[in-house]
Amino acid sequence: MGRYLTLLTLQLRTSALLAAQYRWDFLIDGCISLVWAATAIAPLLIVYAGRSSQAIPGWSMNEALVVTGWFILLQAILDGAINPGLAAVVDHIRKGTLDFVLLKPADAQFLVSTSRFQLWRIVSVGTGVAVFAVAFHRLGRWPSLLGVAQALLLLCVATMVLYSMWILIVSTAFYVVKVDNLTYMFSSIFDAARWPSSVFRGLLKLVFTFVIPLALMTTYPAEALLGRLEPVTLLYALLASAGFATASRTVWLLSLRRYSSAGG
Amino acid sequence: MISVRGLKKHYRVHKRAPGLRAAVKSLFKREYTTVPAVDGIDFEIKPGERVGFLGPNGAGKTTTLKVLSGLLYPSEGEVRVDGHLPQKREVAFLSKIMLVMGQKQQLLWDLPPADTFELNRAIYDVPRDEMKKRLGNLVELLAIGDVIQKPTRQLSLGERMKCELAAALVHGPKVLFLDEPTIGLDVSMQVVMREFIRTYNEQFGATLILTSHYMDDVAALCPRVIVIDKGRLSYDGGLAELVQRVRPEKRVAFRLSAAVPLAQLEALGKVVRHDAAEAVLQVPMDQVNTVVGKALASLPVKDLTVENPPLEEVMSELFSRSRADAAGKGRAA
Repeated sequence: MGRYLTLLTLQLRTSALLAAQYRWDFLIDGCISLVWAATAIAPLLIVYAGRSSQAIPGWSMNEALVVTGWFILLQAILDGAINPGLAAVVDHIRKGTLDFVLLKPADAQFLVSTSRFQLWRIVSVGTGVAVFAVAFHRLGRWPSLLGVAQALLLLCVATMVLYSMWILIVSTAFYVVKVDNLTYMFSSIFDAARWPSSVFRGLLKLVFTFVIPLALMTTYPAEALLGRLEPVTLLYALLASAGFATASRTVWLLSLRRYSSAGG
Repeated sequence: MISVRGLKKHYRVHKRAPGLRAAVKSLFKREYTTVPAVDGIDFEIKPGERVGFLGPNGAGKTTTLKVLSGLLYPSEGEVRVDGHLPQKREVAFLSKIMLVMGQKQQLLWDLPPADTFELNRAIYDVPRDEMKKRLGNLVELLAIGDVIQKPTRQLSLGERMKCELAAALVHGPKVLFLDEPTIGLDVSMQVVMREFIRTYNEQFGATLILTSHYMDDVAALCPRVIVIDKGRLSYDGGLAELVQRVRPEKRVAFRLSAAVPLAQLEALGKVVRHDAAEAVLQVPMDQVNTVVGKALASLPVKDLTVENPPLEEVMSELFSRSRADAAGKGRAA
């Protein structure tokens, strides 16, 4: 365990060295982050423009803004911490350099997952927090301590689910080699997480709650901050993340066996 | 140290006839064939030995190395490396071995090699002072002191390959698999790499298996060679004996002070090359003395050397012979 912590620190240091080498990225990522925030907020303004405060059932505009804040935050985690390392796996598989990872006496999933971070994306985390501040300022109240604690727990859960889904997608690269389309598809599905889940009805609602739990990623944490999360939802979120983590680990190990032709 | 018994590695590949119709058909129904990359080989390697794997492209050399390093699971047979089953990929096993591939690199592209060394140190859990000593030694042997702080992408191919070797050795592997480590390097850099590999083997007693297309690598490094062809072992023994077996002849090269008619040379042996100033004859081993004696008596010889035929030629003859054998058998069947 201690060894993996040292390794994580070292991998982070490597990414920091890279980030320092490309320092203009800070400015570029900063600008991109602002543009992303604007594009995340703009549809909300359009939907609520000139309508009643209940354009989305159960959500006032400022409350929906909290969901947008979570969307910006999770997008930053996805682009900054999850995607860079795992996108490299696809490259490794294509070029055969995954051999080097498998030759190392450490867990391969850990090594590839921590191999690269886009540290400048931290700017977007700041943007997300700023959106929360604006939303709550306009609501005229602040989240409770319990709400913040629940929201932080849900942040970990959401990150775990997002990471597991990414592992599942990357694992398909062992079978089909080119998975760019799948990652694009997932990115556009993830885009739906900018809306509170009550927007979706019928089949979509079922899919986004149980198959690709977008509600868990942005709506539940927003509800936690707003102080209206039902405790049973928290339980469901914890179970879902545990399920996703187990499934993704299993699929990863099976895919790895295929790469190394185990049992074949 | 390494024991391989009845090793087979078969790949299942999907086969289809050329053309669009066959392509569409294969979407629905696939036919598979089994390709034997390695088809039953046995050998033992003692600790500290340097062994060369020889064979034409696609003979099964790299597949064997990958099985030995635990990257591929054997289809049949048993492989043991220092008591471990490689395919289990235990930490204790992985910490003892390394596979260096001349065509693939592990150095971080945008950062100096020193950062990769540090990462490997942490992964292999090498104590800091031990690392300092080991790295100091590697840096000195490879003369890469002023290189390891520059970003990898700015290094020349030779510098990069030297750093690749250093990165592969920071954990002091006892068993080293080298797959074409000198590929693409110029002759002087090949010599440097060879010298280094030999020194590493001698200093640390590491066991070493090498594949290379440059016969000079094998000749300089490996007293013992294993020839693999079509997944089967066709020779295991000393390099000199192999050459003698394939080509039991020597080459006698004369530098001449005056031109000599071809017929006069042909009376002495098989003429390989002939011009006004030089002639090369191929002569059976046991007749070398007689031929040299006769030549000195009858030809205007300025200088004379007796050599083995070039290794490349010996190998290509060996491989084409085995192909002809296989074709012959095919026809007979």
